[in-house]
Amino acid sequence: MNNQKWIDYALTQGFEAFEIYQLLEQTKAVSWFEGQRDSFVTSRVLGTSLRGTVNGKLANYSVEDPSDSNMEKVIADMKAQAEAITSDEEAIIRKPEDTDKVESIKNWVKPSNDEIIKMLALVEEKAKNYDPRIVQVAGISWEETKIKRVIVNSNGMNVEDEGYAQLIFAQIAAAENGDVQANYKVQIVEDLSKFDVDKYIDELCGETVKKLGATSLKSGQYPVIMEKGAMTTLMACFTGMFSGDLISKGISPLKESFGKQIFSEKITVIDDPRQQKAISLANYDDEGCPTKEKKVVDKGVFTTILFDSKSAKKMGAESTGNGFRASYNSPVNVAPKNLYIVPGDKDLDALCKDMGDGLVITGLMGMHAGIDFVTSNFSLQCSGYWVKDGKRDHSVSLITMAANFLEFMKSVEEVGSDIEWSYENIACPSIRFTSCAISGE
Amino acid sequence: MLNQKELEKYLSICMRSEADFAEIYEETESSETIKTLNGKLEDVNHVLVQGIGVRLYKGFNSVYGYSNETDENAVLPLLAELVDAIGKKEDGPEVALQEVKYENRHPVKIDFEKVSLEEKHGLLERATDAAFGEDPRIVKVQGTLLNVNQKVQIANSNGRLIGDTRVRTRLMVDAYSQEGDNFQSGLNYNGAGMGLEFYETVTPEEIAKEAVRVALVNLQARDCPSGKMPVVIDNAFGGVIFHEACGHALEATSVSRNSSVFCGKLGQQIASTCVSAVDDGTIPNAWGSQNIDDEGNFQKRRVLIENGILKSYMIDTLNGRRMGMESTSSSRRESYKFEPTSRMSNTFILNGDAEFEELFEGIEKGLYAKKMGGGSVNPQTGEFNFAVREGYMIENGKITYPVRGAALIGNGKDILWNIDKVAKNLERSQGMCGSLSGSIPADVGQPAIRVTSITVGGTANE
Repeated sequence: MNNQKWIDYALTQGFEAFEIYQLLEQTKAVSWFEGQRDSFVTSRVLGTSLRGTVNGKLANYSVEDPSDSNMEKVIADMKAQAEAITSDEEAIIRKPEDTDKVESIKNWVKPSNDEIIKMLALVEEKAKNYDPRIVQVAGISWEETKIKRVIVNSNGMNVEDEGYAQLIFAQIAAAENGDVQANYKVQIVEDLSKFDVDKYIDELCGETVKKLGATSLKSGQYPVIMEKGAMTTLMACFTGMFSGDLISKGISPLKESFGKQIFSEKITVIDDPRQQKAISLANYDDEGCPTKEKKVVDKGVFTTILFDSKSAKKMGAESTGNGFRASYNSPVNVAPKNLYIVPGDKDLDALCKDMGDGLVITGLMGMHAGIDFVTSNFSLQCSGYWVKDGKRDHSVSLITMAANFLEFMKSVEEVGSDIEWSYENIACPSIRFTSCAISGE
Repeated sequence: MLNQKELEKYLSICMRSEADFAEIYEETESSETIKTLNGKLEDVNHVLVQGIGVRLYKGFNSVYGYSNETDENAVLPLLAELVDAIGKKEDGPEVALQEVKYENRHPVKIDFEKVSLEEKHGLLERATDAAFGEDPRIVKVQGTLLNVNQKVQIANSNGRLIGDTRVRTRLMVDAYSQEGDNFQSGLNYNGAGMGLEFYETVTPEEIAKEAVRVALVNLQARDCPSGKMPVVIDNAFGGVIFHEACGHALEATSVSRNSSVFCGKLGQQIASTCVSAVDDGTIPNAWGSQNIDDEGNFQKRRVLIENGILKSYMIDTLNGRRMGMESTSSSRRESYKFEPTSRMSNTFILNGDAEFEELFEGIEKGLYAKKMGGGSVNPQTGEFNFAVREGYMIENGKITYPVRGAALIGNGKDILWNIDKVAKNLERSQGMCGSLSGSIPADVGQPAIRVTSITVGGTANE
């Protein structure tokens, strides 16, 4: 694709501004099952997304055919699209801005195919031998992803960056007396030669075996701790409430809450696309706007609305560098990047001790169905364990937790210290709450 | 699309290896999403997907590679990498392809790409006007129209060359209602494997009015009580219970790896005798139908459960090898970016013999789940959960008041035994199903059923 040719042609066809966004993604994945390599997947996909404005109205178009032969038809379609838009919102193709770029400090060491295979075989062997109750070890895999992102536009924007990540994944099941419990674990691995396989297996298998014999709980209000993984999952369902787009449309439950106390004063939320601990960082958002660190919630007060260019313009604000695409062919939308709750001082054991008797929730399921975003009510299947006299007692499953997220976040007792950046670009520590409605028996 | 000569050349290269089977899947897909807020056209996103996916098998082992670049300079290195990964050989059979022709079971009348954006926007304007016209408490209406046209071509080392065109459309309305500080929403959608002629049979107005009805009911709804209770699950999207709780566990992806609760249960009673269920990918112009599956085999109607007895799994070729069973033409994928695996098409419980009213008889305290939301399941444990989008309490056999915020949780293998009545009002509804091979259109469906006991997760402190 000859970028300049497309841009020049678009401008002759009546576009005020035109942007080309390209994402080249190369992946390799190897999976292992029952003593042999199960599958090997390799890919290389270049996705191109085009945006242009006519009278301030935006057209979106994505193509995977990189040849120039489609140019005239695509540009004509885009023009018809922009002219059909009747919304009053004005779109912007950005001008380039200076920024100090940060480089990732992650030191990825790419293993050979032999090293990968040996490690996957070792994970299978160690998992199978961990405990006789481990009845199945499936879905052991290694994945590598390399991306290159380029944004050029008719205003002189020309930025690019690259990213890389590799991870190991394993899924197991344990069974005892007809009860089956499944578990998986994803771990980012910078250098496979330094990967602590025993610790990984211990965390994966240990937790699964402990879940065996889990019982339900009598329905009621209980003190709860959301363990870091479950807290991250829950928070991820509601980060849309900080979106300037959804606030301006009146759909966010925080539509009238800017500057107000929305969470407990123990909660501070930061969005930092340049966070070095996260799996990937971004110096620019997907519109080419430089990113920065922001306190979204400061001691419970909603202090920063996240914006892309379009929603910022609509609300008379500046973009916060949060215009991101869910995939190369999704439109730019407001999204957090490396958002986290600032951790406190106590580890999970100390939180349990402070709670005395109560429930620790370690897993949440059914997020795409059990969330009512508009009201922030949620009702989710969950699992975890009961804490008695400050210590882990029996495992609990087949229960649901239900609350209003905003109310729930006001009832924080303590914020834990155990934040961990995994493969998601959001992270939360474990948090102890006064109570939550649990349904079970 | 690659021509026959190119495909034969590439497949022959693939077979100069340890592989016993090679397949090239090629696809172009044009899709368009049109969004309105209060009738104004906000966003249009047009996406042209195109690329190839090449798969080689050796026994149970597979290697897969995909790329958006289909010219020889890109394809040859991809093939070389795959051949290396499976084991290179000096010679192999030359592949000669024979194109398979057939009659299209899912013809389309109005191609969305030939209709102007203004006209398509008009469909959403009609829906919006109908929603606002229905009740003054409706304060906001979002509309989404999705149109997809996917063309696929599948060639394999057995000499089969076959293609398919899959067209689908879906119109979705989110209606928001407000009364004082009480702000609620109602969602409704309808779609089919059709062109825009679909909206002559199901009008945008009908779709919108149903969304409004749910948004208004939710204004009156109270918090749902919790605990184990009998639940009447109504038809159409209520079938998500079967899809999540049982359908996924009947896919060979789980069964072949011994990670399904239904492993080794063929021919055995796995459900109450009033339950019969099918997965039918042949229904003309249905949302989850195709002429062929994504391995190029003609779609079928599969009887999964007959009077409670497990009759069939849903099997793709590779998992079939592991299980020692034939493919049931159940191999599907979102796009060339996914290796295909066994998936559902249009999956539903068949009509029973109970009258709808009978389902409520004798229930002292229970839940009537009139509309279900989505859900998910862990096929290894059978544990499922799903959300109730419109629910009512049943007290002493009568529907009393609407409730919100309810979730149903349980275990798939238990729930099938606990269905004690099946009504006669079978309907299907259109969903997107996500799994290993991506997100694909699939119909769920059922007549109203009664489950004697399910754990209901609610928000009321009762």
